[in-house]
Amino acid sequence: MARERQRFRIGKSIDFIVGSIKVLVVNGREIGVARLRNGELRAVMNRCPHKGAPICQGIISGVWNASAPGELEFDENRDVLVCPWHGFQYDLGTGTEVCWKGASRLRMYTIEEGDGEVFVFI
Amino acid sequence: MAAQRKTQMPRPEAATTLKIFDCDVHPVPKAGLESLKPYLPKPWQERFARKRAIHDGLNVPIRFRHPNGSVVRQDARTPEGGPSASNPEYLVRDLLNTHGIDGAVLNCFDVGGLLSAQSSTEESIVLAAAYNDYFIEEWLSVDRRLKYAPAVPTQDPASSAAEVRRIGRHPQVVAVFIPLVNVLMGHRYYWPIYEACIELALPIYVHVTGIENIFTGTPTLAMGVADSYIERYAAVPQVGMASVASLILSGTLEKFPKLKFIFAEYGFLWLPSLFYRLDRTWRGLRHEVPWVRKAPTEYLHERFLFTTQPCDEPDDPKDLVTLISMLGPDLLCFSTDYPHWDNDMPAGTLQMLPPEVRKAVFYDNAARVLRL
Repeated sequence: MARERQRFRIGKSIDFIVGSIKVLVVNGREIGVARLRNGELRAVMNRCPHKGAPICQGIISGVWNASAPGELEFDENRDVLVCPWHGFQYDLGTGTEVCWKGASRLRMYTIEEGDGEVFVFI
Repeated sequence: MAAQRKTQMPRPEAATTLKIFDCDVHPVPKAGLESLKPYLPKPWQERFARKRAIHDGLNVPIRFRHPNGSVVRQDARTPEGGPSASNPEYLVRDLLNTHGIDGAVLNCFDVGGLLSAQSSTEESIVLAAAYNDYFIEEWLSVDRRLKYAPAVPTQDPASSAAEVRRIGRHPQVVAVFIPLVNVLMGHRYYWPIYEACIELALPIYVHVTGIENIFTGTPTLAMGVADSYIERYAAVPQVGMASVASLILSGTLEKFPKLKFIFAEYGFLWLPSLFYRLDRTWRGLRHEVPWVRKAPTEYLHERFLFTTQPCDEPDDPKDLVTLISMLGPDLLCFSTDYPHWDNDMPAGTLQMLPPEVRKAVFYDNAARVLRL
């Protein structure tokens, strides 16, 4: 039987700003909370699916694309978390690894925001 | 000599229906540059005569000469006593008929070194045309099973592209042989040649030239100059590794989405190591090369073939089956390298593979990539 998730208050809305990820310990687990460029919040386990690195200490960035060799483009509307160890990149919107067809993805937690308060379900 | 020829291995696949395409056979002109005279403009004939330009082999320094005197099998000399693989009728009998081979890609080994570094740029342009005309005229009409990968004068990509367009429509031309210079294959330097090949639906064929890291302008090998033939021979796969990585990471394969490549004689057991590294690193650093739109391994299977000879064989044949299954049976194409000393004949090559894999490796993969 699945364990029932508990609701934890983790801070005020103003504590979470676009472009950064805040690492918190909630009920004994390290999670990172990030605000996306579209204003939504995401909570992820601070553990890279690749080698277990503290991924929330990595870079949050957009994504480079290219229509041809040398034709560099930058998509700043996509929020990507880059692991500090091997550089694997995960889309914070979906949790999936960027450009990789495998099953690798971030462990994500449900997060709620209301009346200036933020809650996570673990 | 005749008695020796009768002792050759019998046709190995006679009892089977296995079709065999040999992706690496090395013809030579009967008498070096002298044979090319009718195919050279008169002023160039005079120039080469005055220079006493005799090209009857690679002409490498002593330290890199084959320890037994030649890279060419002396038992394959022609009945009239000519150089091995200098008589098309005899080659058809000695290689194709004897070993049940259904088709073969001819590429002149000696011309690779000659065009990439051993002649001047202007000389290489004239010589490439002469060699190509010689083989087209004197070899391809002998047997329809003989196919040809004409060499281009890589020192000048524009002239190389012109040479592809000049002769590339011949129905027995099935690929274009680029003798590599010291420029990685993904570099824009080669783009004019690639464009011409795309126009004519011809794949690129690259082959060890035998003079890598010996003459200036040739592909360099890591850590300096080897001290012997065997040491250089063992290091040459580096060129294949660097070239494949360059083609993928440069975005050149995205620039030319239909272009395919055959790597001859660079080996293939290094592919798992290279591609595990490429895929893993691309997952982390793809933003440095965002024009690489999919995992390197995907490009590998879509665009590349590697000849089987010289087949690096583990002691236990089952290990080779495992390694080839790791690669995937779609990456390899059979080759003999006739008439060179380290040639692999069908009867003694990859016998341990399952029948469906042998079918792919010995014929189907080549038929899929070459313009047959």
